[in-house]
Amino acid sequence: MNVVALFKIVPDDTLIKITGSTLDLNVPAKISTYDKSAIEEAIRIKEKHGGKAIGITAGNTDRKAIREALAMGLDEVIAIDMKEQDIYSTANMIADQLKQLNPDLVIGSEATTDSSGGIFPAYLAGLLGLPLISYVKSITIEGKKIRAERNLISSTEIVEAELPLVISVVGEINTPRIPTVKQILESSKKPVKSVNANVKPLVKLASVSPYVIQRKKIIIDGSKMEEAVDKLLSYLRQEGVIS
Amino acid sequence: MNIVVYSEDPEYIKVASSYFPNEKIVAVSTSDTKYADELHVVDKMDEEAIAKYLASLKPDLLITGSTKRDKVVGAYAAGLLKYPILPDVIEISGNKAKRVVYSGMGIAELEFNTPIVVSISKKNVEAKERQTQKKNVNLEEGKVKKIEVKQKGGEGVDLSSAQIIVSVGRGIGSKENIKFADELARAIGGALGGSRPITADLGWLPEDRQIGLSGLKVKPKVYFALGISGQPQHLAGIKDSKIIVAVNTDKNAPIVENADYIVVGDVIKFCQEMVKKVGKK
Ligand SMILES: Cc1cc2nc3c(=O)[nH]c(=O)nc-3n(C[C@H](O)[C@H](O)[C@H](O)COP(=O)(O)OP(=O)(O)OC[C@H]3O[C@@H](n4cnc5c(N)ncnc54)[C@H](O)[C@@H]3O)c2cc1C
Repeated sequence: MNVVALFKIVPDDTLIKITGSTLDLNVPAKISTYDKSAIEEAIRIKEKHGGKAIGITAGNTDRKAIREALAMGLDEVIAIDMKEQDIYSTANMIADQLKQLNPDLVIGSEATTDSSGGIFPAYLAGLLGLPLISYVKSITIEGKKIRAERNLISSTEIVEAELPLVISVVGEINTPRIPTVKQILESSKKPVKSVNANVKPLVKLASVSPYVIQRKKIIIDGSKMEEAVDKLLSYLRQEGVIS
Repeated sequence: MNIVVYSEDPEYIKVASSYFPNEKIVAVSTSDTKYADELHVVDKMDEEAIAKYLASLKPDLLITGSTKRDKVVGAYAAGLLKYPILPDVIEISGNKAKRVVYSGMGIAELEFNTPIVVSISKKNVEAKERQTQKKNVNLEEGKVKKIEVKQKGGEGVDLSSAQIIVSVGRGIGSKENIKFADELARAIGGALGGSRPITADLGWLPEDRQIGLSGLKVKPKVYFALGISGQPQHLAGIKDSKIIVAVNTDKNAPIVENADYIVVGDVIKFCQEMVKKVGKK
């Protein structure tokens, strides 16, 4: 069984700060949160069913983040360097690589923390003409058959399909492993294939500005909770939001 | 321009129609609508099959809603058509669109050309009803077979229209403690919601109570964030609240910058005192 995990390297969302009218994205890069679950699931499938688990990343190709993915247990990473990207150009570049690898299963995650669109695996599946199972919370694979539990907001679906296909996983599917120091050291010996982008984005990013709503930020000391609640209630009554 | 709109939720078809009042709109849905000139009623909720049908209409502009399923259908269709795509657009005018990025911290302005696929966010709009011609479409089966569907069965509380929301995060401490927040919600006539760890991860509340980027967007008069740290993905769902009250033991939690009133203290004590006070009145 050959599995591909898709992951994206993004500015660490816990470090991004808004200063005045700019969003400071000049922060260390990391593997997008739920993409680690895609990597973890690919490694688990390989551990159970044999074969290879290969990672593909496109955009920022930060070596430290790629090494972390390898240290977690991927056999190889294909790193597509793209300065400017949109879903169209990224999917086309990744599809090119997938056609050469011809994997049984491609795993992405529900959404990345930078563009947060939650549609990439579905787009890629359409482009490749492969079936898609999205928002997967658990899977079992037997032979060529995959059974998956899909997590939609107000319902859960159990579905079945034949490999090869594309799935997107939700963060709750697993807890990504943390590589040991030894695994991190060993990861430097694993292959990284560099690819240059040759597909241009069709959507142009004109600007990014901070999304803030000014709040009053009135602090009430809660060490004497009874007084704190009195204070809060008088504020809320003044605001007319509570009677 | 050949505009096709798809959503499982008719509200989105209305929003799409409001963006293009003078253009012909062909809607595809499993539901009914009065906001399209033509409505193609599809006979099953099969995402791949619907995407193939949408692609066969060769739209210049394909607009979908932003439910989890809508976005998958739109993206699959965009892939089939090899069109560019813009998900979760909050505003469209001419060939410019705005969308929320970086988990709710940024707004990106994008420029696009047709053909394209766009998924739009919900908003309150006015749109005129149209003379809708209906036709039924029998879809072929996709390759993914549904074996079982389980409804999660929330209590049918509509958080998206609630005026008061009491929402709990990991700071509530345990499943048992949810009852304190529940009592508070009842005392002030509010609806109970939660952060993603509480709903999706730990299952202390049903998943249809999840508020945030990957859950519900809410706009109450007052939102109580109890033991919620205020990560951007949570804030993304509550930015439209009129007043935000946070209760947190950590006076440096990110929610503090994003709330109107912050009680620095224990969430359980807060709930108990609140219930006493509003009960007395
Ligand atoms: C792609 C993506 C999508 C996501 N979508 C969502 C989403 O839709 N909604 C969502 O909520 N999250 C979402 N998340 C997760 C989000 O990043 C955070 O992990 C989550 O919001 C944190 O939840 P929390 O505030 O309950 O928990 P924590 O971050 O653990 O915060 C707990 C807080 O409780 C406080 N506390 C502890 N004890 C007490 C006490 N006794 N009294 C008072 N306060 C106390 C702590 O100081 C802390 O601030 C998403 C993440 C990703 C990557």
